[in-house]
Amino acid sequence: MSILFSGRVSSGASAHKISPARRFVMFWVNHVRQALFSLGELWRTPSASILTIGVLGVSLTLPATLHLLVKNVQQVSDSFTQAAEISLFIKADSSATQISSLQKILQADNAIARVTHISKQQALEEFGQVSGFGAALNYLTDNPLPDVLLVLPKNTAAESARQLLERLSKERIVEFGKLDIDWLTRLDAIVSLLRQAVLVIALLLLGAVLLIIGNTIRLSIMSKKDEIEVMKLVGATDAFIQRPFLYSGIWYGVFGGLLAFLIVEAMLWWLQGAIVSVTSLYGSEFRLMALSVPEFFSLMLLAVLLGLSGSYLSVRRHISAIEPTGP
Amino acid sequence: MLEFDQVSKSYPGGFVALDRVSFKLEKGEMAFLTGHSGAGKSTLLKLISLIERPSVGRVLINDVDLSRIRRNHIPYVRRDVGIIFQNHRLLMNHTVFDNVALPLVIEGFSGKDMVKRVHAALDKVGLLDKVRCLPHTLSGGEQQRVGIARAVVNKPPLLLADEPTGNLDPDLSKDIMRVFEAFNQVGVSVLVATHDLGLVARMKYRTLTLKQGKMINDGLLQYQEDPL
Repeated sequence: MSILFSGRVSSGASAHKISPARRFVMFWVNHVRQALFSLGELWRTPSASILTIGVLGVSLTLPATLHLLVKNVQQVSDSFTQAAEISLFIKADSSATQISSLQKILQADNAIARVTHISKQQALEEFGQVSGFGAALNYLTDNPLPDVLLVLPKNTAAESARQLLERLSKERIVEFGKLDIDWLTRLDAIVSLLRQAVLVIALLLLGAVLLIIGNTIRLSIMSKKDEIEVMKLVGATDAFIQRPFLYSGIWYGVFGGLLAFLIVEAMLWWLQGAIVSVTSLYGSEFRLMALSVPEFFSLMLLAVLLGLSGSYLSVRRHISAIEPTGP
Repeated sequence: MLEFDQVSKSYPGGFVALDRVSFKLEKGEMAFLTGHSGAGKSTLLKLISLIERPSVGRVLINDVDLSRIRRNHIPYVRRDVGIIFQNHRLLMNHTVFDNVALPLVIEGFSGKDMVKRVHAALDKVGLLDKVRCLPHTLSGGEQQRVGIARAVVNKPPLLLADEPTGNLDPDLSKDIMRVFEAFNQVGVSVLVATHDLGLVARMKYRTLTLKQGKMINDGLLQYQEDPL
């Protein structure tokens, strides 16, 4: 494109008749070439690059770790769905047919996943085994324990479990129902608090990543001020000058993201042993969950986007500000 | 090709660098621009390369008024004007080839076409054997010639040079001027700013002389002694 000389054949690409397909290929070839060139630039200043990538990696590790923490806590709290089990204590004078017909009605209920009947006799045996009063119980003339129906709601959320409890308590042969709701609501509140705290901390850290990349790119623009002036003097557009810096930002994102992933994996590996020994003491089946493949790709995508936008913010401000001052 | 129409340039603080300067450089013409330091030579060149804008008056290249050029079109104007700098402004950590190829890369050349043009430009300034050297391994005169090769590699119709012989001894200066003459002979318009009056007088080209921002002489510089 020549503004001053309309007849002048100057632009390399437009000077020749190139087929659109070939131009498309050349477009990508050029971009790959510039991306590799930017990678080479990072390689040429290893200490500065490593520092920046290190800071990025650590900054991204924290949100990723917090995410894993929430994910694992949620897994633990999910394993406590049994806590939403409703115990219905049956009136002592109810007959066995009344109880089994109530059990059938409840099993047909849409809101209920499972109904288990624990008879007086079973309850007494279990109590005898667990409490260690086995021998003493033999002296009882009759069984003081009631029949119990254990009801597992389909929806284990605290509020709906409470509603179900209210409904079931009105059954004629039910003495009263019991649900440890307070404990559930507290756990829910803690998990949601944790999740919001993680969100805030993650946002702050991602903001920090943006600023770090922006500043690194700014420094590298400043160190190439002379070069940029020369390029402008021989007719480079801002877009042309910007491109390598944008690619640097992307590379910082890629390496920072990879580093964060490696740190998280190393940390999980380190903690695995300790967690297994704790959970085995409690006889729990808890397994520490690592980053899944989609989570890994989201982390990388986030890192790359942060790198690109951080460098874009910096590049847009600083490259147009550099103007050649004289021939 | 190049026209100044009553151009004045004053800087904040009231300093007048150029005062109602008018001249016309025809297509394929070669001229010198002389004057003491601070006479306005650099300002004049800055107006042509759009580093500065005139306060009053019009600068035209090929009948296009430069004041009509928007900021985002400035790079395209600079591609049509080859500029040679006194301190040559090479990229010191890139090879001679990379330096000369820079304007072509910017314009989207690649491959054999680019290599051919770079070699042709370096051949014209006699540095074909230094293609792979880094600029700091070259002498001052050679560095200046790399700068010239970079300015002409995309065959601009107009060539500006700011003190191209500033740091060179007389023999090297003469060589550099011969290079400009050679380009002029193939139809390129050339404007060389220099304070080397001896050289200017020997070369017998049209000479524009500036003094305190005013054009005081336009024509052949006949005398060997300082007219200022």
